[in-house]
Amino acid sequence: MDFKTYVDQACRAAEEFVHIYYETMDKRRRVLPRLYLDTATLLWNGNVVTGMDGITNFFEMLPSSEFQINMLDCQPVHEQATPSQSTVLVVTSGTVKFDGSHPHYYNQNFLLTAQSTPNQTVWKIASDCFRFQDWSNN
Amino acid sequence: MVGEEQKEDSPQWFKVAITDGRKYKKPWLLSSIQSHCSVPFTPIDFHYVGLRAQFFISDASIASALKDVSDKILDDNSQKISIVVSPTIVPNCERNKLKPEKMEQLKVAMKKRYLASHQALDLQSFRFDPILVDHGIDMILNRKSCMDAALTIIEEDFPELLSLNLRNNKLYRLDSLSNIVEMAPKLQILNLSKNELKSAWELDKIKGLNLKELWLKGNPLCRNYSNNSTYVSTLLELFPKLTRLDGLELFSTLSCGNGKKKLPVCKGSVYGSDTLKSLIWQFLTEYYYIYDHGDRHVLLNTYHDNACFSLTVPFNSDDGVLGSLNLYSKSSRNMIKIKDSVPRTQLLKYTKTEIVDFLSALPKTQHDLSSFVVDTCVQTENMFYFSVNGQFKEVETSYLPHNCDFTRIFILNRTSNSSLCIVNDQLFVKDIRFDEPKTDLLIGHIIL
Repeated sequence: MDFKTYVDQACRAAEEFVHIYYETMDKRRRVLPRLYLDTATLLWNGNVVTGMDGITNFFEMLPSSEFQINMLDCQPVHEQATPSQSTVLVVTSGTVKFDGSHPHYYNQNFLLTAQSTPNQTVWKIASDCFRFQDWSNN
Repeated sequence: MVGEEQKEDSPQWFKVAITDGRKYKKPWLLSSIQSHCSVPFTPIDFHYVGLRAQFFISDASIASALKDVSDKILDDNSQKISIVVSPTIVPNCERNKLKPEKMEQLKVAMKKRYLASHQALDLQSFRFDPILVDHGIDMILNRKSCMDAALTIIEEDFPELLSLNLRNNKLYRLDSLSNIVEMAPKLQILNLSKNELKSAWELDKIKGLNLKELWLKGNPLCRNYSNNSTYVSTLLELFPKLTRLDGLELFSTLSCGNGKKKLPVCKGSVYGSDTLKSLIWQFLTEYYYIYDHGDRHVLLNTYHDNACFSLTVPFNSDDGVLGSLNLYSKSSRNMIKIKDSVPRTQLLKYTKTEIVDFLSALPKTQHDLSSFVVDTCVQTENMFYFSVNGQFKEVETSYLPHNCDFTRIFILNRTSNSSLCIVNDQLFVKDIRFDEPKTDLLIGHIIL
């Protein structure tokens, strides 16, 4: 595959993924863990969460959310870093309001891994890193 | 009556059974058969029976052509698919099919019950509808032939149906609704209350529907659940998009035990291990020393030959940016703003030379390493990947310096001789608006 094709594929995956992720996070939180690999790691404001049970529990305990995205970028991850695993880096930023808290700016980045089935390629989260922009000012 | 039957051409019916057909999805199965069959065919009453899939055909020559398809199709596991064709009596679905005149009356009755503004069809207690009673049409919706007739009319006349009310129709099973997903694909609201459904797994037969609202109360199945949350979670598993059940908002009732949910406490940097921490800090200190004080071209060999770099600023903050920081907004690859694939590729810097040339053109900076918060996301044999949130200052400009928040993501490849190189690098810069410059300085700049 030539470089431009990698980039296009990454862009498509990123846009589709981000649309699904934040809608699921805000409106169908219960099924959010399905977007993660069983082996995924979540870093949430310095809290480390691993494993499907941990992640499921974490999102159940998190108050309801309303996300707004102001920035989206993505890059195809170099093959040498993740051999035999098609990977995309997705970066987002914006604002979020959790129930019971004031709004925060946030930064988030994901590493998505391709899982191919006969009919389609599904991108799942291998790693999710989330931080409030202003956490150090709290 | 007898005379009429003699005049009609009675078609010869055949049952076409696909061995182990339960394994295959209907669209794939039918199109695979059609692609191997020499004549086009229309399957009547396709359904699964035990492990088989079967349908009926009313033409001898088509039946014969279908017989020839047996063992010609291979499934995903390279197993041959066997098709058995046998003559049969008129299938029930044909025999019980409503005559055209009755279908017309049924259509009238249903149209009367349709609320176009809400795309909603109210078929509750349908058997006792006055029009149907007057015309001697017995709509026992539990029967496949009756439900099929109703679904056919829905497919033809109300294809955009959003809401269907089947309350109080003595439904014992939902087999008759199994092709509702095809007939009413947009259905979101379904009322099955006050029927005779004994198990929530009846709903498994219609789980292809994207239901947002469901009513089930007044069915025997409700007595199976002493615990409300098991009831709710069973249904959510079948219909993940469900937001209202029996009239109640779902997520507000799913609160966990005691008290409101709270946000977890925010914590500092995450490194994974002390070794990795020192490695990361060594990298960051060296990288930013050069980046802030030296010629950024020196960074050439910290990058992989085919590394990628991109830079973004938030949407809406890149209007009215003054002076040197305009370069940030011009190069911003924010995909929320940039939709076209050509600029998206161009704005991605590829190869170490292109990257380092670009970085060297960016304004001079002074990074505050004490502000850095590091999140080490992934660590494998081949690589590690971390993000840095922190602040830097713009220096040497005619404007008052301003603190910028940034997030930088580095994906570093570990080579066999344990040297590191950057394969992916992403920079996000915030707060690039300046404070108001002093007026005389501004004028001086313009005159130049």
